[in-house]
Amino acid sequence: MTPIDTSAAPPLLELSGVRAGYGSIEVLHGVNLAVPAGSVVALLGPNGAGKTTTLGVACGLIEPTAGKVLMAGRDVTGVAPEELVRRGVVTIPEGRGIFPNLTVRENLQMVTYGGARLADVEATAYERFPRLGERRKQLAGTMSGGEQQMLAMARGLASNPALLFLDELSMGLAPLVVEELYGIVAQIARSGVSILVIEQFARTVLGVADYAAIMLNGLVRSVGRPADIEDELSAAYLGGQKP
Amino acid sequence: MLTIILTGISLAAIYAIAASGLVVTYTTTGTFNFAHGAIGMLAAYLYRQATASTDFGGWGWPVWLGLIFVVLFAAPAFGVVVERGVMRRLDGASEVVKVVVTVSLLLALVGLAVWQWPSVSSDPEKFLVGTSWEKFRFGDTTVTGHQIVTVCVALAVAIGLRLLLFRTRLGVAMRAVVDDRNLVRLNGAKPHRLAMFSWALGFSLAAVSGVLVAPERGLNQVQLTLLVVNAYAAAVVGRLRSLPMTFVGALVLGIGQSLAATKLIGVNIGWFSLADLQYAVSPVLLFFAMLFLPSERLRAGAAKRVRESWRLPSLRTAAWGALGFVVAVVAATDLIGADPDRAGLVTALSFALVALSLVPLTGMAGQISLAQMSFFGVGALIMSWIGDDGHTVAGLIVAIAVSAVVGGLVALPALRLTGLYLALGTAAFSLFMTRMVFKQTRLMPGEQVAVPGLDLGFATFRTNQAQITLLAIVFAAVGVFVIWLRGSSFGRRLTAMKDSPVACATLGLDLTRTKIAVFALSAAIAGLSGALVNRSVANSDFELLASMNVTMLAVVGGVGAVSGVLFGGLLLGVINKLGDVLFASNAVGIFEFVKIAVVDLQKVAPGFIGIGLGANPSGAATDIADTYRPVAESRPALSLAVGGPALAWVLARSGTINKWTFVAVLAVMVFGVIPAVPILLRPIPGGRASAAGAFAIASIVVTGAIDWETLTASNGMRVLWMLIACGAVARGVMAIHGQFPHTGAAPQPSPDLVGIDRPLDRSDAIEAERVLGLTEGVLRGAP
Repeated sequence: MTPIDTSAAPPLLELSGVRAGYGSIEVLHGVNLAVPAGSVVALLGPNGAGKTTTLGVACGLIEPTAGKVLMAGRDVTGVAPEELVRRGVVTIPEGRGIFPNLTVRENLQMVTYGGARLADVEATAYERFPRLGERRKQLAGTMSGGEQQMLAMARGLASNPALLFLDELSMGLAPLVVEELYGIVAQIARSGVSILVIEQFARTVLGVADYAAIMLNGLVRSVGRPADIEDELSAAYLGGQKP
Repeated sequence: MLTIILTGISLAAIYAIAASGLVVTYTTTGTFNFAHGAIGMLAAYLYRQATASTDFGGWGWPVWLGLIFVVLFAAPAFGVVVERGVMRRLDGASEVVKVVVTVSLLLALVGLAVWQWPSVSSDPEKFLVGTSWEKFRFGDTTVTGHQIVTVCVALAVAIGLRLLLFRTRLGVAMRAVVDDRNLVRLNGAKPHRLAMFSWALGFSLAAVSGVLVAPERGLNQVQLTLLVVNAYAAAVVGRLRSLPMTFVGALVLGIGQSLAATKLIGVNIGWFSLADLQYAVSPVLLFFAMLFLPSERLRAGAAKRVRESWRLPSLRTAAWGALGFVVAVVAATDLIGADPDRAGLVTALSFALVALSLVPLTGMAGQISLAQMSFFGVGALIMSWIGDDGHTVAGLIVAIAVSAVVGGLVALPALRLTGLYLALGTAAFSLFMTRMVFKQTRLMPGEQVAVPGLDLGFATFRTNQAQITLLAIVFAAVGVFVIWLRGSSFGRRLTAMKDSPVACATLGLDLTRTKIAVFALSAAIAGLSGALVNRSVANSDFELLASMNVTMLAVVGGVGAVSGVLFGGLLLGVINKLGDVLFASNAVGIFEFVKIAVVDLQKVAPGFIGIGLGANPSGAATDIADTYRPVAESRPALSLAVGGPALAWVLARSGTINKWTFVAVLAVMVFGVIPAVPILLRPIPGGRASAAGAFAIASIVVTGAIDWETLTASNGMRVLWMLIACGAVARGVMAIHGQFPHTGAAPQPSPDLVGIDRPLDRSDAIEAERVLGLTEGVLRGAP
């Protein structure tokens, strides 16, 4: 098992000892996780492991009760999500990160709050996904699931992030569409963006990821190269002991 | 005819402006601002204050400066203050609490305006640009300059809003907040700032409509507020979402009203006069708009988590509580010398009974009603008809039955609608009843109705003392019934319906019948209260604002609990009536140094109490109950808590201590000493319980030894001193005891307190299985 190599430079994102929860229920019991600059880290685990909560802490939506969130070595614990966005941290949340009652174009207009210019955003989005260009005046909620996810991805592309968080891109989509989306993720990764991907279905993401982390019961249990971690992964999902 | 339509259009323009403000705030923040009309009213007054010449008590500003000040500065600034101070804290509160908080804002603002501008001689010539303009003539039709200005402003608002919402990034973001608040943040925008802007914009639009409507209708706090309330109907036609449809609604409303105002004067159906129908156009339109609104889809998802929580007392506790309540009320009133002095308490109990009608409806079923005083009016009317020639028992029964039927009818359009729409529908019903029923000269000659006292044959209830006894018994009985109901299968159905309509539907529960039944029940209780009112009631008591007051204070007290609505009802009675009796004759007023007369404070107090609800959605009663719960649970403490006041009462009754001293002793006992008794009785190591107990007894004796009646001439100062005494005694007991645990609500148990300080893993599961004796064989179902 290869631990993540962070000797060269401080990782772009680092969570250390993060505890967080909802009300009196604690979900994360001290999560440690690092995303090295320029790499793709897949965060895997079964339902209820705390993956989305981890992402919520990382992007600023959930304030941790203990522990620290560091970005490029600087403490950003408790910084509001809208501030992080302006500094190049883009999150595509679970279940279609779009506004269904706005048109495609208006959805892209929202991206400009992060600092990009509307013309650039539109150019990038329509070039990559010509279908969005055809539907720019359509309400986003009336498009197909794949098209909606493309719109969400367009935000990730167009806002030119340094750090990108993706939560369950594959949820409820046809395998072909998922494949296409992860093709784009790989392309974004090649341009030097550091990415943290959350997935329940590991196979879809392991081809893209440099590292994989397995989460269970609110803790990161193991981290390693995708190839090393496969056995452990099946054990984690099936709830069995390590073989 | 053309004149009628033109007048209608200018009226429609005002409604359109007001309604679009409502829609903008509602769509972008999810809060329907019931206070919209009051903002418009306040703006009109402020505008008049700024621009009226100094001869008329104004500041003499030019018209343009006044307009800029009110519409672009004061109103938006107030909107920002309201968003920051009140609305922001309402995240996650139930629809009922949201409605009540904005209703409270309405009441507070009306109170404020009545207090600040008790009478204003309007100065119409200088009121607004255009009012003094020549009338324009088209053939034989005339149009005033003011009407033209109004229509132009409405068009400008329509175009401006359209551009803002669809052409600017700000507008797009405001619409985006409705879809997904967190995603807006993840895009880099700040939802709070958007909400603030949206409130400011809404308040501005309300101000514009207020300033425009005032010169046409004159300055009157309640009339102006209710006039803009008419705009609710236009907003509902637009389904609180679509601005174009809102404008259509406003047009229908304006022209309809203008038609009714000219064509229906003197028209009667039998004795039923239609003269006032112009004022009822809005409720009727609202009613129909709601009938044709597409049914709200049941949204799947988790049960709603709300912040309110109430404890359900056992039937035994309830019965003892009811008995104690009746005895206490009768004993307390027995001390009052003159019968007319008891009138305040009669009103208070009467309000408490109306508030009680909200426990099943709002507390259990989560349905909100702003029309309870209309049912009260129905009950009073029926009782006065039938009970007039001595058939009071029959009158009572018929009053209850008719109220129940009317309540069931009101529920009909509400069947497919929830929360906010229900509040709007009942408000419309209340306006309709006020205009079309309670103003009929045939039904209420002289705008009032004389309700006879109940005559049971063996007992008649005509004096205030008898009336208090009767109301106390009825309240206690209905209260116990309501608590019993909560435990019955009907009560379970109501609570289930409140928590998750989806789950109810999937379980095959008939939501329709349950809703109608609970509405009928609630209306019946309110009608019962009206039938028992035993005096002459003016129709202004049945108005929308009166209903709003009752609903607000019931929720403030804690609408889930009988004790909560009792608290709320008594508070309303005290503020409305008892306060006047106590403090109005008070020559100096309560705080001479602040120069605020209590009577003025009373006008705004209820509204501000309601606004404070955001901090504690469960109502005040739960807090109070938490403080006194340990007393009820310890038998010796309970007997002391009952015995002490009883002894004081005997002393007062026999004339040993005077009545004000009795009140003071009672106050010190109840607020200063009794909450501490359970702790004193169960000594904590390190606590000086006996010394503290001695201090408590000594302070009660000292309080009793003071002659409170001659201490000071001012009732206000007397009450103030009593409050100081209560606080001092409570502090003293705590300080002497030294080891005083925190009383009040127990904190939520955290996982640490439960004893789990790490996530459970497989070894825990194996251990649990061993403890439970679950072997693999058992799990597989083998013998």
